[in-house]
Amino acid sequence: MEILKINGVEKKFAAGQMPKTIAELLEQLRVEAATVVAEVDGGIVEREKFAQTKLSKGQSIELVRFVPGG
Amino acid sequence: MVDNLVIAGREFKSRLMVGTGKFASNSIMALAIKRSGTEIVTVALRRVDIENKDDDMLSAIDRKKYLLLPNTSGARSAEEAVRLARLARAATGINWLKLEVTPDPYYLLPDPVETLKAAQILVKEGFVVLPYINADPVLAKRLQDAGTATVMPLASPIGSNQGLRTRAAIEIIIEQANVPVVVDAGLGLPSHAAEAMEMGADAVLVNTAIATADKPEEMAEAFKLAVQAGRMAYQCGPRAASRAANASSPLTGFLRNS
Repeated sequence: MEILKINGVEKKFAAGQMPKTIAELLEQLRVEAATVVAEVDGGIVEREKFAQTKLSKGQSIELVRFVPGG
Repeated sequence: MVDNLVIAGREFKSRLMVGTGKFASNSIMALAIKRSGTEIVTVALRRVDIENKDDDMLSAIDRKKYLLLPNTSGARSAEEAVRLARLARAATGINWLKLEVTPDPYYLLPDPVETLKAAQILVKEGFVVLPYINADPVLAKRLQDAGTATVMPLASPIGSNQGLRTRAAIEIIIEQANVPVVVDAGLGLPSHAAEAMEMGADAVLVNTAIATADKPEEMAEAFKLAVQAGRMAYQCGPRAASRAANASSPLTGFLRNS
């Protein structure tokens, strides 16, 4: 069992099933990468680096996007 | 008469900024934005809702026509605002930011100490900072000295539709400012926006009054016209009010014997 904390919620993955990169994680969650900004353990990951940014278990990931606001 | 709004060296024909919150749908939002004539629209940054992914609102906004102005709404401290600002910059590639720090959830009044602290950090990091503040002339000067691109004093609490409750303080801010003054929050009617512009505000930001009207698209145009009328009146040199009457018609030649 491997765990990633995504937007404050722990998500469990069966051994070997944890996404290896941010790009893979977004694909699994069916979130369109073009609309998202990511933070891994408090550090911003640029969109161009989603495919290269390796994830390791226990990391805390924030996925944010623009919403309507004043 | 060319009378463009200039913020941080960038020119805008429209003096109306529009917030994108509270519209019934992205398509109504897009129509209202278009009808308002605005060139600057605000957006917020939030966690992706993994369980309930709705439409991407940005697809409804033509980035070639409108400057996206991300806000830091939800931030309760300078630290949180700076974090949101950096995320917004990573998302848009642009460094414009509406800075707001509102720890109090009931009146949503901005925290002056945290706002100034965040502004000082963000200006150093190269952001074009448009800070949302209470109508405090001293704070406005401190922010301007810190290098913010505008000051954005509130007319009344966000979304309250109360109009220009802070008029006297905003007059002082306008008198002292050497950056554009954008009256933000609480403008509930086009007449409120016109009043702010007549006073010499450089621009206004409107969201709730447009988005929650029965006819948002038409209300957007009503605000557009009011902002234009108010600006035009300001440039015409309006006269001060007097307590007594001043006759408009001649006071001689009456049809009566002395």
